[in-house]
Amino acid sequence: MIAEAKKLQFRSTSKGKITDKIAKIIFMSATILSASFIFVIAGIVLVRGVIPFTTDNLGVGRVSLFSFLTGDIWLIGETFASNLYSIGFIIISTLFITLLSLAISFPVGVLTALFIAKIAPKPLAKVLRTVIETLASIPSIVFGLFGAGVILKLVYDFSALIGYQSKGGNSILSVVIVLALMTIPTITTISEVAIRSVDKSIEQGSLALGASKTQTNFKVILSSAKSGIFTAAILGIGRSLGEATAVSLVAGGRRAGISFDLLDTTSTLTTIMLEGLKETTGIDYDIRFSVGLVLMVVILLTNLLLNSIKRRVGVVNVKE
Amino acid sequence: MKKILSILTMLLLGVSLIACGEKTTTVSTSSFDETKTINVYTRDTTSGTRTGFMEGIGFAEAATSDSVLVEGFLIKDNTGILSTIGIDEYGIGYVSLSSVNNTIKGLSFNGVAPTEANVINDTYGLKRPFMWMLRADGDYPSQDVEDIVNAFVAFLGTTDGGDIINNQGAIALPSTTTWDSIKANHDVCIQDNSDITVRFGGSDSIQKVAQALTAAFMPKCGNFVAEHDHTGSSDAYKRTNDPAIKDTSVGKDVGFASRNFRGAELEVPAIQRGQLAWDAIVAIVNLNNPLTGVTAEDLKKMYDGTYTTWADIQG
Repeated sequence: MIAEAKKLQFRSTSKGKITDKIAKIIFMSATILSASFIFVIAGIVLVRGVIPFTTDNLGVGRVSLFSFLTGDIWLIGETFASNLYSIGFIIISTLFITLLSLAISFPVGVLTALFIAKIAPKPLAKVLRTVIETLASIPSIVFGLFGAGVILKLVYDFSALIGYQSKGGNSILSVVIVLALMTIPTITTISEVAIRSVDKSIEQGSLALGASKTQTNFKVILSSAKSGIFTAAILGIGRSLGEATAVSLVAGGRRAGISFDLLDTTSTLTTIMLEGLKETTGIDYDIRFSVGLVLMVVILLTNLLLNSIKRRVGVVNVKE
Repeated sequence: MKKILSILTMLLLGVSLIACGEKTTTVSTSSFDETKTINVYTRDTTSGTRTGFMEGIGFAEAATSDSVLVEGFLIKDNTGILSTIGIDEYGIGYVSLSSVNNTIKGLSFNGVAPTEANVINDTYGLKRPFMWMLRADGDYPSQDVEDIVNAFVAFLGTTDGGDIINNQGAIALPSTTTWDSIKANHDVCIQDNSDITVRFGGSDSIQKVAQALTAAFMPKCGNFVAEHDHTGSSDAYKRTNDPAIKDTSVGKDVGFASRNFRGAELEVPAIQRGQLAWDAIVAIVNLNNPLTGVTAEDLKKMYDGTYTTWADIQG
């Protein structure tokens, strides 16, 4: 009887092991598939992106990597006949714009998350959560159309009020507003999850020690959720750096010179890749892959930097 | 706490609404200030409209080079220029005649108003050709597709085709032939072609015209299926004749270009390419701008930076 039972048990575990193995293989192949796409994409961009620097581009001439990364005019001379491309000023304006938009979206997003998670009455919180989630899933082109139709006019009129002749509202300010609108939902959704998963006992402990609700919210809850909030900021920055469509509708297509003037036109790495992409050939096409390569490096470096800061910020007792 | 918050929210909403209201009224009452800088709007260097415009105003080197343009110019697409000129009182831009609407003002060019009639009678000078390009003989997915394409090109040269082109805002080449008089030459159109797909592509400026043409031609030619995928003038050649691309999934049977063929594109035999229409380009300004007309020289001077303020051009 006992032997029989043992046999059964053995059979069932060995069966379980086989299922485990199969599941493991399925999971692993899914992972390998998705991970390999990253290498395939990065590889193709790399291969195409180095063409302008390694070949003479069908007689146009090799692009100098140093002046490409440091110069402040997108292209000197005739398209298809010149190799004098530079994106130094665009790298800087891209980072500048990303920082500015984060300066708006981060506080607004985190405070909204705090409101939804801790302050708002339950039914209101439910409605707001749905609104924010809907906002997060709106495609970027819709934000772009809103930017081109509404924000450009507001910025143009605002410039006129302060006596500045705006270029139809196409400006850093418009880009920053559009990007902030796009990143607020991302930051809010993720921060809200982080805030909600802060252990109740920490909150109650703070209240029991006599701290007010506001003190608890800011000093205890936000600092306990800071790791998750930081993740939200990282994803927000990622969305800002990578956005092309919406930005190109309000940026104005600046082609030369760094400008930190909020009401002046600008370009970002993504808009310079997008504008004219559909109609171009040869070096003017390949150079866009080089810009893509630079963008990938910028995103990688930013992520590494932010992740190292995030590790230092640390995690306080957060329920997983 | 909740009360304070809701009051604050309401106040914030109220203030933003008031701000919106104020701003709209400021603009509609403001008057045109000639001392303001001209904001120059252009398409990017790969645009066929830009080539047509720059060549038309005698500034051909600016067709593919940004370096020769006035400092501080803006790059936008067709819709972007149209909508921004609607906002920017001091802007100048250019769009194709078919996209001109009542939110902006189209300027007369060298004294001739930008109307279809003036393009047909060849007095309006700022225009560009609409071209077509075919695959090489025998290089189609089937003989039926090739026959339909040839019938389609013949249709482009008829008055029936011309009417459709004109209805779309482009200007057809003069013709006296009717489709009824030549359809006997195209046996393929008598049979049922409903299971045959013909792929059209190339310039996106021509997409509207091309779709109207195929929509009219399909019932005349056995109800073949027309597939439109317009990506840009350069693809007219690339997707029909470039050996590296023409046989991939994006390959086309008919490609359109909104500019004259150039470079390697001219190596395609002349029988495989031709013109179907003219498209006029119009210089546009904000409705508040008192200017009604420009010369090619005015436009060149605005785009190369000789004229920097609106007073320069009126003086």
